[in-house]
Amino acid sequence: MAATERIGGVFAATLLLPGLAAVSTVHAEEPPDQAEIALKYGYYRDWQPGLDRVKVQSPQLYLLTPFAGQWSLEAATVSDSVSGATPRMHTTRSGATPAMSDHRSATDVKVTRYFHRGSITLGGGYSGENDYVSHSQNVEGRWSTEDNNRTWIAGYGHSGDVIDNTGSGGSVENQHRQTRELMVGVTQAATANDVVQAFFTRSMGRGYFSDPYKDFDQRPDSRRASITLLRWNHHLEKYDATVRSSWRYYQDSFGIRSHTLAAEWVQPVGVWTITPGLRYYMQSAASFYYDPVTDAQGVPSSLLTRRYASNLEGYYSPDQRLSAFGAVTASIKVAYAFSEASSVDLKVEQYRQSSGLRFGGGSPYLDPFRASFVQFGVSHKF
Amino acid sequence: MKLILLIATAGALLAGCAGFGQVEPWEKGNLAKPSMRFDADPLDARFTQHVYTSKEAASGGAAVGGGGCGCN
Repeated sequence: MAATERIGGVFAATLLLPGLAAVSTVHAEEPPDQAEIALKYGYYRDWQPGLDRVKVQSPQLYLLTPFAGQWSLEAATVSDSVSGATPRMHTTRSGATPAMSDHRSATDVKVTRYFHRGSITLGGGYSGENDYVSHSQNVEGRWSTEDNNRTWIAGYGHSGDVIDNTGSGGSVENQHRQTRELMVGVTQAATANDVVQAFFTRSMGRGYFSDPYKDFDQRPDSRRASITLLRWNHHLEKYDATVRSSWRYYQDSFGIRSHTLAAEWVQPVGVWTITPGLRYYMQSAASFYYDPVTDAQGVPSSLLTRRYASNLEGYYSPDQRLSAFGAVTASIKVAYAFSEASSVDLKVEQYRQSSGLRFGGGSPYLDPFRASFVQFGVSHKF
Repeated sequence: MKLILLIATAGALLAGCAGFGQVEPWEKGNLAKPSMRFDADPLDARFTQHVYTSKEAASGGAAVGGGGCGCN
């Protein structure tokens, strides 16, 4: 059961970000002309050498509609079916959780009121499964200049999470986490073919940050992060294509520093649109992450690592996701437009994460990690 | 703080460049294309962001109000 909750918690976390999606980042400061409905089916699978880990099936529904003249309503919901296993320490296969299955769902809604040169958006989200419940709220304001070349953006978000796995025999009872986020940003039409965007976000969290499904894991009860995001979309008239690129720098009080670089080429070909993409990510390790301990032959030893970890004091974690590593994603998306109002799309992504992909080297003795994700979607405007 | 200063300086330099940010309404045809939007496919962004949030330590940057993450 613990395994069930562990995996559920992991992917829940991913879907515990309803608010993240609830406040999108670029809109004209006027209600949408048409309503839009979209369906997407996502499939995710990850593995490491000798261990198939997690599989997720994730159908999603999205609705956007104008109403009452100067208002719009946007809503999204997702339902996840999760199965698989994951290591309890580092990438140790022998310590992996037993096979499990779980289910969770999340919904978020936002309402926007448009004004002459701005808009105000209020949003809320809920995500729940048997060991993790999250509620989030957010507000965002946008103001455009008279020539519509620049839009200032400010947002504030709050989330309250409750972690409790006692219902299935776990030991974590009614633990809470509160996170507040403040964001400021600007979108600028730079030239007739360039639009750029810059955001700065400050996140402040307090509460339970440990992972109850990792062995020997004790993390600080606060986490403060600063995130800078720059995005640049450039239209190439010669090819009628768009290059979309971004860079994100993240640093937090766990001691983690990370860079994310992404680029994709959007190429229309008649009624088709083909979008290949690349993403590179690297991070340093958390200050309290500890490496696996090796035996006399230099081979990582689960027994020695456990013995070492049992004597640790203060904060400590064997979570691979807090180690130093790099990751690369290659993707391709193909979309077909039946008409101006209707389209269908398929996206395939391959992800690889390993110590060796980090410039300067990563944490030792971890198995590389791979994932594959596929999305199939349809959308219709009316 | 150094990063903020760097970004502010870069922004000021760009703003000083001739023509930067001076786009006339009749020049905005390409800017209006769907591919030039930063949120062209919200469900796609939502799905991939969730995957990365569960497998990497860093998250966020483009929006606020996300719930906490039990994975990290």
